[in-house]
Amino acid sequence: MEQTFTVAEVPRVPPRSVNRESIISGLWLLCALFAVVIVFFILLFLVWDGLPAFQEIGLVPFLTGTTWSPTFVPPAYGILPLIVGTLLVTIGAMVIAVPLSIATAIYLSELAPYRVKVAVKPAIELLAGIPSVVYGFFGLIVLVEFLRITFQVPSGESMLAGAILLGIMSLPTIISVSEDAIAAVPREFREGSLALGATRWQTIRQVVVPAALSGITAAIILGMGRAIGETMAVLMVTGNAAIIPSPITNVLSPVRTLTGTLGIEMGEVAIGSLHYHALFAVATVLLLITLAVNLGATRILARLNARTTGRKKGVSLRLSGIVDSPQTGKVVLGLLALLVAAVIGAVGGLVSAGAALMVIIVLAFALPRLSRRRSQQLAFLLLYAAVGVVLLILAIILFDIVSKGLPALSWEFLTGSPRDLGRAGGIFPAIVGTLYLVAGSIAFALPLGIGAAIYLVEYRREGRLTRLIRVGVDLLNGTPSIVFGLFGLTFLVLFLGFGVSMLAGQLTLGLMVLPTIIRTTEEALRQVPQGLREGSLALGATRWQTISRVVLGPAAPGIITGTILSIGRAAGETAPILFTAVVFSQRYLPASVFDPVMALPYHLFILATNVPGAETNQYGTALVLILLVSAIYAVAIAVRTRYHTALRL
Amino acid sequence: MKSHSTTLLLLGMAAVVIGALFVAGCTGTGGSATPTPTQAPSTTVPTATTAAIGTPIATVGTASSATTAPATAGTFVSNGAKGKISITGSTTVLPIAQALAEAYQALNAGADIQVSGGGSGVGVQAAGGKTAEIGMSSRDVQDTEKAKYPDLKIIPMARDGIVMIVHPSNDLSSLTLAQIKDIYTGKATSWKDVGGKAQPIVVIGRDSASGTREFFNTKIMGTNATVSTMLEKNSNGGVKSSVAPNPGAIGYVGMGYVDATVKALNISVNGTGIPPTVNNVVTGYYPLSRQLFYLTSGDATGLAKDFIDFTLSPDGQKIVEEQGFVAITRTA
Repeated sequence: MEQTFTVAEVPRVPPRSVNRESIISGLWLLCALFAVVIVFFILLFLVWDGLPAFQEIGLVPFLTGTTWSPTFVPPAYGILPLIVGTLLVTIGAMVIAVPLSIATAIYLSELAPYRVKVAVKPAIELLAGIPSVVYGFFGLIVLVEFLRITFQVPSGESMLAGAILLGIMSLPTIISVSEDAIAAVPREFREGSLALGATRWQTIRQVVVPAALSGITAAIILGMGRAIGETMAVLMVTGNAAIIPSPITNVLSPVRTLTGTLGIEMGEVAIGSLHYHALFAVATVLLLITLAVNLGATRILARLNARTTGRKKGVSLRLSGIVDSPQTGKVVLGLLALLVAAVIGAVGGLVSAGAALMVIIVLAFALPRLSRRRSQQLAFLLLYAAVGVVLLILAIILFDIVSKGLPALSWEFLTGSPRDLGRAGGIFPAIVGTLYLVAGSIAFALPLGIGAAIYLVEYRREGRLTRLIRVGVDLLNGTPSIVFGLFGLTFLVLFLGFGVSMLAGQLTLGLMVLPTIIRTTEEALRQVPQGLREGSLALGATRWQTISRVVLGPAAPGIITGTILSIGRAAGETAPILFTAVVFSQRYLPASVFDPVMALPYHLFILATNVPGAETNQYGTALVLILLVSAIYAVAIAVRTRYHTALRL
Repeated sequence: MKSHSTTLLLLGMAAVVIGALFVAGCTGTGGSATPTPTQAPSTTVPTATTAAIGTPIATVGTASSATTAPATAGTFVSNGAKGKISITGSTTVLPIAQALAEAYQALNAGADIQVSGGGSGVGVQAAGGKTAEIGMSSRDVQDTEKAKYPDLKIIPMARDGIVMIVHPSNDLSSLTLAQIKDIYTGKATSWKDVGGKAQPIVVIGRDSASGTREFFNTKIMGTNATVSTMLEKNSNGGVKSSVAPNPGAIGYVGMGYVDATVKALNISVNGTGIPPTVNNVVTGYYPLSRQLFYLTSGDATGLAKDFIDFTLSPDGQKIVEEQGFVAITRTA
């Protein structure tokens, strides 16, 4: 189908001058370099604003000080508790998310019947589409209370609450990336193993998972990146006490993260004060941590690519090496068991720790003695249980919000303006504002992103430059949304003098979604068969003619999917627009891009935190936001499914 | 094949959504018969906003001097200035400014007043840097800020009392300033230490950049450090939501946020419990009274001036009180 309109058309076009071609290629180069430039720009502006703090406080006292109390006399700016808090919450999130998501990925890729897969995958993607302020809101009202009553502690606001919430939020990332990695394991591996008489579970455990291990590792690191950078949800549930838990395994202690500090203090601080600069220094540290994590993921993924495409440059997979050796494997498992026991001990005292240790020891002796069939049954049971837990989590969150939000939904709510501080009336201006913000950010990011991807895929062989650009894109992808918000504030709002305006918000959101667009477009372009390009070029078409008339057509569905995913992400984010674009109310819809706007996530945030007695409309706003984002996702999923076969020509 | 998979997908999505809506619909209708906890506050509070000032008196159960209505009620006449102004800053002041803007726009059809939060720091910066016509602040303008923006005009527009709130089941009715200090410095860790039952105290407060916390520190903490395990919230609403379900909790919020889900404590001075009533805030008997401010760069003109005039007029100050704060014009 797709080829017929392309090859026949090309020869009728007269060849254009080389000059025009080089201008076009230069244009795309600029687009591609933009991603790199912007990363340096963000870093530059954060460091610039953080520098006075580093100078005045000193790098070492800043990083190793154990007291953060900026308004005390004399002020103390030690961020060690914040760094420890961030790491603890992230590690906790991974302990929760990794087993669940790897089990789900294995199930989806290896065991799930087609029909189940088609239903479960969108559900998991919906989990990714729930805006973080909604998660925070749910965590504050449901999860924190649950923990307080279950563990009989004075308050449920704790590291554990943050870890659970972040674990849930990083599930979709880890699941989808590791599912891709598992699906990429060649079929011959499985067939060979089964032919040798291994059970399905033995094949999965000893052949498929080890082969996909580096991909799974990258998935975990990407999930970690999301967890470290998350702001709104975390600051609502961790209690924000800037302390290092004592003992460190006390998961029920409140903690404060780097992002949480930025989220709650940035708004109230006097601009230009030492405290203000210290917050930018915090943002710099945060950015450096996430950059390091994401660079790690990128390197592992690159290694994986090198292996699957057969360009193995003598790099052995060290991680799989560790697990392959049974001795080290046992040591690692033993240490993990001790860690789990320690955590349980911290929560429930010595007795339960001892009990947990006993159970682990018994299991360690019993498991290897199970028959192959029994152990497969047990393993599959655990896999099903994990998928069940993931779906249950989604169901609980959706049920809570839908059941409490539905009574608020009415025609007036959707089409009216808020009255009485949003307790009554509707949210129409916020819906329109969100659409404006999203439209603007896409209008900004789409041409840039597509241009960059075209340059990377169509104009360059892999080399130093493309690697640099890719690193830039990856880093941009890993930048926490609150950091984009700070950059928007210091660069667009203050430095360029846009003020709090729609334009500043659109650009900030646009920067945030740019890497998603670049990556998905790149992926879509790569899937267009090389033969199409070669045919077009052989017929005398120029490179740009080939791209615009032959390549872009078949790649369009992939690009559209990426765009729609970006729209979903931009619609639900609070942190980037918090300081750059939003107002709580305005009489008329914005007339120009220099006017501020209302937006759904911000409206929800204010209703939840600053307006007493707005519970119904608060849930109604959350529901509308979820419906909007999931409607956008549904379109993306439909487009993807519809064209999935078409793309694999 | 193509259409088959799409249909399946859409069916799956539809099933999830319909399922959720269905289950929700069931409880939704059930909720109308017996009010669910989430509906209860929403029905009580909007009607209670006018009575919010009275709530502390009711819960504390102390007889107090009757509150007088704010100044003489008159009808504000707008100067009819047209255009658009933006008001930004303190989230404590935001609800008042928003309610004022709604009322003012009903009087002046040509006005577009945009209200946004961001915090007191943003309010000072925006007014000083003229990116907004009016800034809002819940704290005094700092000396560094005055030096940076010498033209800044500070206009007190409402009074507020900081109220100590606890769980409704807490049997204490008042605390002394010294006891509050002991709780927030970590010296008192159980309610028993301040005369209650033996239960650990969960200390909840505002973030270190908050104007409300700064005020609290000045009035109560002095040079003593806050207990490091204090749970920090970035808004009045956040503090209230954390205190309301937690039997051991104590927190502080602006008086506009006190409702039936929490219990307001009196402040005990020389053996007398002083409730956070309007009168006690105006006279300053209530020890935790403060002012809230509008900020402008130089004298306000045009629409901004008219809006400030409206805020300070009897009509405007009535709205201030409806939002649970105390009129600046009120005298004891």
